[in-house]
Amino acid sequence: MNKRIVIDPVTRIEGHLRIEAVVENGVVKDAFSAGTMVRGIEKILKGRDPRDAWAFTERVCGVCTTVHALASCRSVEDALGIEVPRNADLVRNLMFCAQYVQDHVVHFYHLHALDWVDVVSMLKANPVEASKIAQSLSPWPKSNPGHFAAVQQRLKKYVESGQLGIFANGYWGHKAYKLPPEVNLIAVSHYLDALEWQKDIVKIHAIFGGKNPHPNYLVGGVPCSFNTEEVNAINTERLNHVASLIKDAITFVEQVYVPDLLAVAGFYKDWAAIGGGLENYLAYGDLPTRGYRDTASFLLPRGAILGRNLNEVHEVNGKDEQEIKEYISHSWYKYGAGDGTGLHPFKGETEFNYTGPKPPYEQLDVDGKYSWLKTPRWKEHPMEVGPLARMLVAYAKGNTDVKELVGGVLKKLDVPVTALFSTLGRTAARGVETQVVAHWMKGFFDDLIANIKNGETRTHTRYHWDPETWPAEAEGVGMTEAPRGALAHWIRIKDRLIDNYQLVVPSTWNASPRDTKGQRSSYESALIGTPVANVDQPVEILRTIHSFDPCLACAVHLYDPDGKQIHQVQFN
Amino acid sequence: MTRPDILVLGIGNTLLGDEGVGVHVVRALMESPAPPGVQYLDGGTGSLVLLEPMQEARRIILVDATADGNPPGTLQRIVPKYASDFPSSLAAHDIGLKDLLDSFYLLGQEPPDMVLYTLSIALPQDMTTELSPALAVAAPLAAYTILMEELPG
Repeated sequence: MNKRIVIDPVTRIEGHLRIEAVVENGVVKDAFSAGTMVRGIEKILKGRDPRDAWAFTERVCGVCTTVHALASCRSVEDALGIEVPRNADLVRNLMFCAQYVQDHVVHFYHLHALDWVDVVSMLKANPVEASKIAQSLSPWPKSNPGHFAAVQQRLKKYVESGQLGIFANGYWGHKAYKLPPEVNLIAVSHYLDALEWQKDIVKIHAIFGGKNPHPNYLVGGVPCSFNTEEVNAINTERLNHVASLIKDAITFVEQVYVPDLLAVAGFYKDWAAIGGGLENYLAYGDLPTRGYRDTASFLLPRGAILGRNLNEVHEVNGKDEQEIKEYISHSWYKYGAGDGTGLHPFKGETEFNYTGPKPPYEQLDVDGKYSWLKTPRWKEHPMEVGPLARMLVAYAKGNTDVKELVGGVLKKLDVPVTALFSTLGRTAARGVETQVVAHWMKGFFDDLIANIKNGETRTHTRYHWDPETWPAEAEGVGMTEAPRGALAHWIRIKDRLIDNYQLVVPSTWNASPRDTKGQRSSYESALIGTPVANVDQPVEILRTIHSFDPCLACAVHLYDPDGKQIHQVQFN
Repeated sequence: MTRPDILVLGIGNTLLGDEGVGVHVVRALMESPAPPGVQYLDGGTGSLVLLEPMQEARRIILVDATADGNPPGTLQRIVPKYASDFPSSLAAHDIGLKDLLDSFYLLGQEPPDMVLYTLSIALPQDMTTELSPALAVAAPLAAYTILMEELPG
C-alpha cells in the first residue's frame, strides 16, 4: 500500500509550504517540500536607501522580526566598514537572546508540544498525582493540586463548550500519544503559564527597541540612549526592569520548560532514532563579544559539520562566492546564465518563472520546478540549519557551557550522543540552547551595566552615516541566526542606493526542493523513514516537521498512489 | 505606560500590498495625536506580542483586511461574537488572532469588548508596499470613520 500525504502549511509571508510524502507500509519512503507562495522582498528593496532596509525586512516574518532587522543593519555596516560601539553589540545581543528565549518556549508549548501531549487525556488526570510528579521535576511554585485542578476545570469547560479552538486540530486519542494523563495535565498547565510569561520577556524588545511588535533598529548602532537619571532614556528604573525580566526568564526556562522537555522526552525515546535526515549542519553563529568582525568571539560559533563528524568544524565565509550558492532547477525562477547554474547571493537574481499548475491542484510535478523556494547549498552540500546545527557546532568547537548541558541531557535521558541526530535531538537541542542563551543574556546585561557605570554610554557611531561619504559601490553580508536557523542578507550598494538585496532565510535551507543533482534538503530528507501508523492522522510527520520550527501553520492532504486526494486536514 | 481605555489595533503585512491596509489605517490615525485614553498600535505581523496590549485595553477597535468577495475597499463594522466572525487568515499568522482570543478563554478571562472593522481586498496580492487605488482611497476614509464613530472627543 503506497500513499502520498501532502502537508500544506500556511504563513503570513513565507507563504504556503506544502509537503508531499509517499507512504508505503506505514513508513515515509519519499518526500517533497514546496514553498507555494512567491516571495519578492528583493524587488521591494531595490532603489531604496540602504539605511531603511531593516524596517522592510523586519516585516518579512511575523515571528522572527528582530533578526531580519539585525541581519539587514549588519549587511549595510559590513558594506561600509562601520563598526558599532560595544554597547550597541550588547543591546543587540540582549534583544537577540530575548527573542530566542521567547520564541523557543512558545515553539515548544504552542506549536510542538501538542504533537506529544494529548490535551483531551488530561481531563482524566488526578490533580494530586500530577502535583506530586511536577514537584519531583522542579520547584516551580504553581505545582500544587489546587492549581492543576483549576486548570483542568477550565479546560474541561472549554472542551465541553465545543470550541476546541487552538486544540481543534489534534489527533487526540491517537496511539502515538504516550504520556500518562497527569503528565499531559502538567504540560497543558504550563502551556498556559508560558502564555502569560512570554508577555513579559518580549518587553525587553520594547525597552531597547522603543516599541513592539517590530522594534526599532539602526545602522551604526542601536536607537536608544542610556542616562540613569533621564525619564525618556533607558534609566535605572528600566534597567532594573530588564534585570528582573532576565531573572524570571532563567527561572521559567529552568523550572518549567527544560524539566517538561525532559519529562516528555523520556516517554518518546524511540524518536531519538527517527527524523535524522541530513548529516551536514551549518551555523553562521552570533552573539559577538569582541565585535561582529571577530567571529572567533561569538558565543554561538560559526562553522559547518559534514557527515556528522564532530571532530572537524569547517570554516564558513559568507562572502566567498564558491561557498554559498542558490540553485533553481526545481524552483519557479530563471537565471540569465541558465537554470542549472548556482548563484552566490551577491550575484543573486530574482526573476519569477512560474511553470506549475493553476492552484488549487492535487499534486505537484516534482520532476520539474515545484517550489517558490530556491535551493541553497554550502560547497554543494545540503545543510541543516537551526538549534541542532548551532548546538552541534558549539559542541564540536568545545564550548564548555554547551558541552556540559548537552552531556547532562544525554545522561538524564540515558541516550548516546548519536541520539542528537533525530527529531527528538532537534527538540532537545532547542531546550539546551534556550537554557544556555538565558544565562548568556544575564552576562550581556551585567557587561552593559558595568559599561554604563564606567561612563561608557555610547550606543551609535556616526561613521559613514552620511551617504556623501560612501564609496560609489559597496557590497556586504549580514549574518545572524534566527531562532529557526542561519539567516543572512546580502546587499550591493550602488550610487548610495540598494542595487541588489538577497535574503537566504532558514526555511530556504531546510524546506527547499531538491537541487540540480537531485540531493534533498532537510525536510525532504528528515521525513524519510518516519513511521505513519494511521495515514488519516499523520501526527508523526508533524512531529518531525515541527521539530524544525517552521514559522508556518499547516494543512495535511492525503493522496493515494494514483495521485487522487483522499484526505485533507487543516492545521493552524 | 498607563493602561489605554481604547486600543485601536491595525494588523496586516505592509509588504503584501492591500493585505497591510489595517496598518495603513492606524498610521493615518497616528498623524494626529490620539484622544485621551486612546492608544494606536501598528500590530503589523506581530502575533503573541499583541496579547498583553489586547488584555490591557477595556475596548479594542481592530482593523484588518478581509478577502470576503466584496468590492475592494468595502468597509464593514462587525461586532464579533465568535472566533469564526473574524476574517479567515489571508495568510495565517503563526499564532493568529483567533488563537489570541482563545487565549483569553484559556487564561480564564472574559473576552474583550471588541469591534472589528474590515476592508475588503482582492487576492492574491503582489509583494509591494503600495496600496491599490481602491484601498488607497478607502484607508483614510476608514480612519476618519473610526475617529468619528468610535473614539471620544
